[in-house]
Amino acid sequence: MIARALILASALFACSASAQGYQPYPYPPPPAPGYPPPGYPQGPGTYPPGPVLAIPVLEQDLRVKAGSDTVRFGRDSYVLTPQSQATLTAQAQWLIQHPYVNASIEGHADVRQTRDYALALGERRAASVRNYLIASGVPPEQLQIVSWGRERPTSDGVHDATWLQNSRVVTVLKQPPQQLQPWMPEPQPQPQPQQ
Amino acid sequence: MRFKSSFLTLTFSAALATSAQAQSGQSQIVLAVPQFPTPKNVKTDGGETGVIGIQIAQQIVSDLRTTRAIYPTGPDGLRHYTPTEAGAPLYPNWAGIGAGALVTGYVQARDDGRINVVCYLYDLKTRREMTRKGFAVDANDWKRAAHRCAGAFYTAVTKRPGLFDSRITYVAATGTRTQPVKRIAIMNWDGTDHNYLTQGGVTVTSPRLSPDGEHVVYMSFAGGMPNLRIMDADGSNDRQLLQSTSMSFAPRFSPDGRSIAFSMAVDGNTDIYVVDSNGGFPRRLTTAPGIDTSPSFSPDGRQIAFESDRSGTQQIYVMNSDGSIQHRISFGGGSNSSPVWSPDGDRIAFARWTGANIAIGVMSPAGGDEKMLTSGWQDEAPSWSPDSEWVMFQRTKQGTGTGSLQMVSIGGGEPKAVATPQPAADPSWSGVVE
Repeated sequence: MIARALILASALFACSASAQGYQPYPYPPPPAPGYPPPGYPQGPGTYPPGPVLAIPVLEQDLRVKAGSDTVRFGRDSYVLTPQSQATLTAQAQWLIQHPYVNASIEGHADVRQTRDYALALGERRAASVRNYLIASGVPPEQLQIVSWGRERPTSDGVHDATWLQNSRVVTVLKQPPQQLQPWMPEPQPQPQPQQ
Repeated sequence: MRFKSSFLTLTFSAALATSAQAQSGQSQIVLAVPQFPTPKNVKTDGGETGVIGIQIAQQIVSDLRTTRAIYPTGPDGLRHYTPTEAGAPLYPNWAGIGAGALVTGYVQARDDGRINVVCYLYDLKTRREMTRKGFAVDANDWKRAAHRCAGAFYTAVTKRPGLFDSRITYVAATGTRTQPVKRIAIMNWDGTDHNYLTQGGVTVTSPRLSPDGEHVVYMSFAGGMPNLRIMDADGSNDRQLLQSTSMSFAPRFSPDGRSIAFSMAVDGNTDIYVVDSNGGFPRRLTTAPGIDTSPSFSPDGRQIAFESDRSGTQQIYVMNSDGSIQHRISFGGGSNSSPVWSPDGDRIAFARWTGANIAIGVMSPAGGDEKMLTSGWQDEAPSWSPDSEWVMFQRTKQGTGTGSLQMVSIGGGEPKAVATPQPAADPSWSGVVE
């Protein structure tokens, strides 16, 4: 049922996206000045949706509504603190309200883990977050997990004193795959949004 | 070996004769390397065969000069000889040059544009041939033939594999710390013939050379998910190893190169699997809840060392290569990871986190006999030299986070930096092709 709704939604999206001159996933447009145009549907209550908002805008919305897109961990730990659980509960509500957006749960480990273990630990943390979100009512097919290991330290975590800041899981929003897209155009120069 | 007994006396006398060069407590053999003659000086893609003959002798000297067991001399100042004499040296003519052994050989152009390189090693005392090698190579590849000759000589003298034709693959890291650009690079053990195998568009880690040095298996974020890929050592034929949607990482070849052990993570549980090097269906070896990763085969292929946090911290375990009899071997304190079995089978190198820094150590495969080799801020990712004498590793500098390759002797001493054009991580040293 949900899958069918998603297909319908993406079909609608595909039509309206090309009409609006947007680049569909996987070439999301970088935010341009004055983007998104005012008057586009925002937030819940517009499902099935019109044009999907740009991912950076949605991520900003998630950060505001849920408090953060990131939960942090102690070294070697994959246990969700009460604070993390509160953040994830809010993230889950947001995801339930935005069923046409997928989330990639990206796990990271600190740069002082050995490389293989860091990848495994990032995956374990991401799985722990995903399981919490599913338990909070988010449909499993809306979520995927990936581990970056220690390959992507945050700007907060590059210093020696703050390397533990890299032990984190970030909820990164993605547009669902374009299931009905028969043909994917080549990347084009960025079209300016119509005013 | 039938030359062994005569050879021992030879090294002894050679060490006496050249006590100036000999290091204390170590016998050293003086090896004369005159230039290789050519039956006919022919122009080839790699230059004139006569010139190649001089260059090969120089390369052999340069290779063997890095060893403690052999003191090479030449090619300057040594007499010339004919290609015919290469296979039947006129021993009286080589007497009195102060050498215990003699290298001869020749370079010959072939009709197909390639060259034949033939090399011999003679014991001047017993007047016997110790070893010989012959190669038909592209004229541009004369250096590899020279490396292989030098390796064969080193093996004949020390009964250990020579490093000279071995290769090192590693990750060249540029870009910023939060947006690094990582490329797989490969070079000869001495830093020559440096090449990039991937172009930096996708984050890659953990390149591992196959024992024959012909293939590289590595982890890539291509497609947005960590997964294993395999390619030829020149970067061609790059393909995904597994048909799996789960993330896979930490690959390492078996000693025969036919299979690859690796880790796969499924829903928060990482286990060790083995798959055929050509792909196919992986076989699961561990089932413990928790993280089992960094597998490394013993040189006979019968056992696998790996790390697991099933006890609460990362520790090193050994199991049979079918997954049976998993037992912990690291009890020396700290958390211990990244075990790598030495090619001679005698030791396992590992990285130890003490709570403040990460250091490289070695232990016996049964556990115990621990010896820490480094004391950097963050030294990790050990890899053995083919002769099991050195451990190469990645050192991360405190403050900048810049990585470099270093190598340390298992006898101890300060690590030496391995020159790379860019900051470097994750070294893997190939085996030696006989």
